[in-house]
Amino acid sequence: MDRERALMRRVAQGDGRAFTDLVEAYGPKLMAVATRLLGSRADAEDAVQRALLQTYQAARSYEPRWAVSTWLYRVLTNVCVDELRRRGVRAAHAAAAGAEEPAPAFEAPGDAGRRIDVARALAKVPREARVLLALHYVNGLGNAELARIRGISINTVKSQLARGKSILRAALTEGGQA
Amino acid sequence: MIRDRVDQMLSDYFKPAGGAVALAPQVIRRAEGADRDAEALLDRLAVSATAEGVRLIRLGRQARGESGAARRLIERAREELHDYLRGRRVYFSVPVDLHEAPEFQAKVLRAAGDIPFGQARPYAWVAKRIGHPGAVRAVGTALGKNPVPLIVPCHRVLKSDGGVGGYIFGTRLKGRLLEIERTTPVLEGCTSTRILCRVGCSHLRRARPENRVVFASVEDARSVGYRPCRVCRPAQVA
Repeated sequence: MDRERALMRRVAQGDGRAFTDLVEAYGPKLMAVATRLLGSRADAEDAVQRALLQTYQAARSYEPRWAVSTWLYRVLTNVCVDELRRRGVRAAHAAAAGAEEPAPAFEAPGDAGRRIDVARALAKVPREARVLLALHYVNGLGNAELARIRGISINTVKSQLARGKSILRAALTEGGQA
Repeated sequence: MIRDRVDQMLSDYFKPAGGAVALAPQVIRRAEGADRDAEALLDRLAVSATAEGVRLIRLGRQARGESGAARRLIERAREELHDYLRGRRVYFSVPVDLHEAPEFQAKVLRAAGDIPFGQARPYAWVAKRIGHPGAVRAVGTALGKNPVPLIVPCHRVLKSDGGVGGYIFGTRLKGRLLEIERTTPVLEGCTSTRILCRVGCSHLRRARPENRVVFASVEDARSVGYRPCRVCRPAQVA
């Protein structure tokens, strides 16, 4: 963790190489969270870029009592959650204007119908729980870190994850999958 | 949590994706080439106010308000504009004084004011809303002479074909304002007070940046233990 903090200090000083190292270390994980939350790769890339831009510009105000990863995930989930809000507004406006709501575009890379099942089941999970599930399963983040990332209590993290999983289990069982 | 089949499926589903490596140089380029036109706009604006509200915003040199009340309103408007142009405010609370606007224009401006932050509507939508569906061109003219641009968001009205349309401060800036609104979050909670605010609320301004968390709706925030602010009342807008 100290190594990462030293890296952040170099980013704050405008060291491009340090920033590249940071992006290489976290980029794939950030992309996975964003892709799973937003459903499309293009939107995910835009979200990750915006999150990284914010971290790059705010590196100077980085608070070293935080793990770098906690901060990166906080910024990324902030961007993704706002994007989800915007989509909700767009869908509501389109519905009010009488247009048909477009089916959510879930990415189904290569293999399985199983991925689509998981994606469909996840769509039934409330947004906050879905965000926590994504962070937990992409990275194996623990409850305490999830709580810091979303600014909620550890008990709330536990209850949200449990509720999310039970909704998923029910949805997948319904489809004969689990 | 107990590891079971659902866990396994989720672990498979959330495997890290590749392809983010080339992002660093792109981000650095974006940071260096960031468009600062909007941020610089405030220095070129003259805001004037009556004791009732902001009456005119135009390019020019800032003059002193005629009364104490007007001076306070000018100062407040400039602060709010400053935050708005930096992506730290999603609504204006400073009052506007549209007494000098003709009736038709006042209606058009009120309709434009109903378009929520981050959204856009065609000129025809405004025409229909004020009950003159045929008056699209007149709507365009009325908006073009908007006495209080930015605060009354005439930049959220676009051409029906998706084109940006004209703007008092230039089309480029209109596009830039829409871009700022596309990337500014609307609802933020403060992690130490667990209160949810609209971005720009005075309560939230006291919260340090690392204590802010974005939410997609008031219900989402409530579901994890946040309550809506009583000052900015996010429940009424989202």
